[in-house]
Amino acid sequence: MQPGDTYYWEGPLPETDQSDTTPAPWKDTRVVGKPIVRVDAYDRVSGSATYPSDVTLPDMLHVAVLTCPHAHALVTRLDIAKAEGMPGVRVVLKDGLPGTDIPWFGDRSGKFASRLFDPHCRYEGEEVAAVAADTIYQAWDAVRAIAVEYDVRPNVVDVDDALKPGAPAVRDGGNVISAPKPYERGDIAAGFASADVVVEHTLHTPCELQNAIEPHGCVAKWDGPRLTVWESTQGVYGVQGDLARWLKIPLANVRVIGHYVGGGFGAKLSSGKYAAIAALIARKTGRPARLFLTREQICRSMGNRPANTITLKAGAKKDGTLVALQSKVAGSGGAYSEGGTGSADFVIRELYACPNVRCENQSAYINAGPERPFRAPGHPQGAWALEIVMDALAAKLGMDPIALRLKNISTVSQVRGGIPYTSTGLAQCLTEGAKAFGWTDARAKRPAGAVVRGVGVAAGMWQAGAGGPPATVIVKLFSDGSAHLNMGASDIGCGTKTWGAQIVAEELNVPIERISIEHADTATTQFATPSGGSKTVPTESPAIRAAAIEVKEQLLKMAADHLQVPAADLEFRDGEVISSKDATKRVAVGRIPAFGRRGLIVGVGYRAPNPQGKAINPFAAQFAEVEVDTRTGEVRVLRFLAAHDSGRILNPLTFRNQVFGGVTMGIGFGLTEERVMDRGQLGKVLTANLHDYKMPTALDVPADKAVVIVDPQDTECNTTGAKGVGEPATIPTAPAIANAVYHATGLRLLDAPMSPARVLAALSARTAPKGQKGRA
Amino acid sequence: MLPAFAYVRARSVGQAVTQLAAKGTRVHAGGTDLLGCMRDGVMAADRLVSLGAVDELRGISATSDGGLRLGAMATIAEIASNATVKERYAALAQAAAVVASPQLRNQGTLGGNLCQRPRCWYFRGEYHCARKGGDTCYAIAGDNRFHAIFGGSGCYVVHPSDTAPALIALGASARVQGPQGTRTVPLDAFYVGPEKDATRETVVAPGEIVTEVLLPPPAAGSKSGYRKVRARGSWDFALAGAAIALVIESGKVKTARVVLSGVAPIPWRVPAAEAALAGQKLEARTITRAAAAAVANAEEMDQNGYKVALARGVVQSVLEVLA
Repeated sequence: MQPGDTYYWEGPLPETDQSDTTPAPWKDTRVVGKPIVRVDAYDRVSGSATYPSDVTLPDMLHVAVLTCPHAHALVTRLDIAKAEGMPGVRVVLKDGLPGTDIPWFGDRSGKFASRLFDPHCRYEGEEVAAVAADTIYQAWDAVRAIAVEYDVRPNVVDVDDALKPGAPAVRDGGNVISAPKPYERGDIAAGFASADVVVEHTLHTPCELQNAIEPHGCVAKWDGPRLTVWESTQGVYGVQGDLARWLKIPLANVRVIGHYVGGGFGAKLSSGKYAAIAALIARKTGRPARLFLTREQICRSMGNRPANTITLKAGAKKDGTLVALQSKVAGSGGAYSEGGTGSADFVIRELYACPNVRCENQSAYINAGPERPFRAPGHPQGAWALEIVMDALAAKLGMDPIALRLKNISTVSQVRGGIPYTSTGLAQCLTEGAKAFGWTDARAKRPAGAVVRGVGVAAGMWQAGAGGPPATVIVKLFSDGSAHLNMGASDIGCGTKTWGAQIVAEELNVPIERISIEHADTATTQFATPSGGSKTVPTESPAIRAAAIEVKEQLLKMAADHLQVPAADLEFRDGEVISSKDATKRVAVGRIPAFGRRGLIVGVGYRAPNPQGKAINPFAAQFAEVEVDTRTGEVRVLRFLAAHDSGRILNPLTFRNQVFGGVTMGIGFGLTEERVMDRGQLGKVLTANLHDYKMPTALDVPADKAVVIVDPQDTECNTTGAKGVGEPATIPTAPAIANAVYHATGLRLLDAPMSPARVLAALSARTAPKGQKGRA
Repeated sequence: MLPAFAYVRARSVGQAVTQLAAKGTRVHAGGTDLLGCMRDGVMAADRLVSLGAVDELRGISATSDGGLRLGAMATIAEIASNATVKERYAALAQAAAVVASPQLRNQGTLGGNLCQRPRCWYFRGEYHCARKGGDTCYAIAGDNRFHAIFGGSGCYVVHPSDTAPALIALGASARVQGPQGTRTVPLDAFYVGPEKDATRETVVAPGEIVTEVLLPPPAAGSKSGYRKVRARGSWDFALAGAAIALVIESGKVKTARVVLSGVAPIPWRVPAAEAALAGQKLEARTITRAAAAAVANAEEMDQNGYKVALARGVVQSVLEVLA
């Protein structure tokens, strides 16, 4: 899978039926837009929520996977005899055994490069064999007893190295992936010729690992021909499709349940070999099988945000008007993905009005685990380049960085042929954010000494975040006035169930406590696309609203017949239907004869298509204040403010939490996180654990952080007016910090993460030529 | 997953020493690192001897000479919060407070912190390196951004302890007990560099255990501090750190001890920096000179040159706080 293929679309969308009427935008709301505590907060906090990794079944086997310890090797001998005879071992699965001939890692042309246990291992961590035993300890003891001989091949783990002539070949066809046609708009040469100032920088961004707290994995169980899988996933229907294809069984015989997921961040948009292995073992043994990967295995094989090298050149007129942007991005999606640069130039093409743009990409294969989508694929990388170059442009022009950005706001989508956005709150994010942050005062303060301070800003937008069809939701009303929400979407921690219930409560006037929810189960809920792409809110919320409205219309019609009043005069609240004109005309829900006979009202809601000829995107501007210790190179984020246009906010509590989560990830991108490979030696991942792979801790995130909600009152994007936020929240964070570091120190740091090593190197480079070595 | 092993719980130091004599046996104190190392195959053990029930190894108490005894099983959290340590041995309290994370400080012990094995990603990874008895240090041609700028000799790990440099600066000694009896080793002589033996970090022999650490009473005019710089705000080892203990007399530095963390295979004492401080007023010029002297003999590898500036910076910032 390529990032972007399955969780948002450009172009025609698959459509579902739609309701006859389009409800008017909400005006005053009673429940939507209120800071309601998550409906499952107690379950999550108390530990009573059953995550897939908590599932325990009678007679369940435990599976451990043997993976290749080399960056590039051929398995020449695999002896499982000893392992098979060890205590508790029920089955050892390896290449050549029945069911294992599953093609893997398909490319766009439909060809497959590998298979489930392919003896040609092109990265450290590829699966070689699997053992199922009565206990996980027995399974691992047996894995250690499998004798493997490898023919170790030369490896290459860096894009620059991979592109050099004579580099070790990762794939039979070599490492170079033919570059797509460059994106071009206007006349780039003429653009630069007309520029008064030009800035050009080459910047590097780190390879990041998603590292969700819950490991990737599943529990698989067969009942005759039917398979049930509990998987930690962002989308149960994607897993269902994968398993049906791998096992060659009907979709109808695959049930996937994913009620909870301990984080995904894109890496769990699709399933993995673990699910095929667990299902094969469960089928062979007739016992349920549990397979969750180790943290090390996840770090090596379950996805990453590719490292990018971006050269960006920008030209502007004296008044700040952008006239030319030119980028070149290099990256690698690992040994099997053709990507590595996907969407990295989107913000360069689209965020600011610019008539002349040219963007080129170059990818290569390396001996590393394949990329998987990672919260806003490409965008934090592109924003790192664009927003640092914009800051440099502002400095060169002698302009305030916010004024420069405001000068170049676009109200139309330039990459989509100039169609207008349904709404853009970018300018408001910049101005209202700056006001709330105290930008002007903070910018003027420049304390002297060894520890210096500065403030910085960066803006961003997200390519998707519009949502769209298909989405089908069922809302049921029971005869006692309680309601049920049934939807296929996963709640990946963003509060999907909570705002879903809020919409039902809003339309039906049923208290949240009287709404039950069934979701993320292919046997009991309707098809849903995976929760990713910042599209769950704008995709599902209009369908939920439509379903609830359909219920309400049916109920009011039944009540109208019974009370002999027009349905338009009736309201449903607190378990009663009441006439707004005559309060004596009222009936308890349970006493409407037609409802009593039917017992249940079912409403089905569909997601209508997005408006034609309009672009829908969320926007953001973020502000950081930092402290830099010039003796030690430490950067500390003192306070942070994130201003976001995500349309209508359904629940400000979960919204703020999601923004803070994105900012925290952005702090990791900017300051601490980096996958390091043993380049030039064994090519292994040196950071395959949570000590060496440095995710930010609570002490790396400022206590002083704020969110400014910019609601452009978008009545066109969909019937709830909501756009996405999950991804926008992390896009501008790191460059905002980098620009603050520049403001504090005058150092233009071009490489993330801005570790003490990099800050000190930049400080030394500045002081060394002046012969001031040893100065404070 | 952990491989199978036996587990016994000693009731006394003597019993622990007896139990440790069997081949393939290791001592288990807080276990914060040992169990992970066994899971990852960094070290193997057939049997663990737990010190968890040996009460004589616990506690922090005054000694008859006016100093302090720290039991080897005292937790890092107990040391960080002990009133006497905070008041009289500030460098140790500050060092203990920045070890790892709160959970690990609650579980980890002083003895374990002093005897922990290096965090080099080659040593901890599936590399048969010099520290595991191999013939190569993979950091030399590999990624050495976190490796040593001092004292590397066929092995370029850095010592991970924060408490050790503080204790060396404060003149502490360790009591070590084994089959041959008990001995006292100044912590300054406790660590073994790779030029002597790259496969071990301390003088503690197999079968021996550290039982306690003894701090001498601080001289009048004593001051000390520890500063650590790490790649993130918590749960991380030092990129570089400095423990400095000074005795100030009549406005001048009478004696100084400067010990660096995160820059050498053992806690790295820098006599040149101590000499630059001795007899001087603790003013800006002295501080700059001492900080420069601290890194004068550093040997950079490809990617760790920043540690020279960093070590100089931490020495300077500790001295500025003490001034």
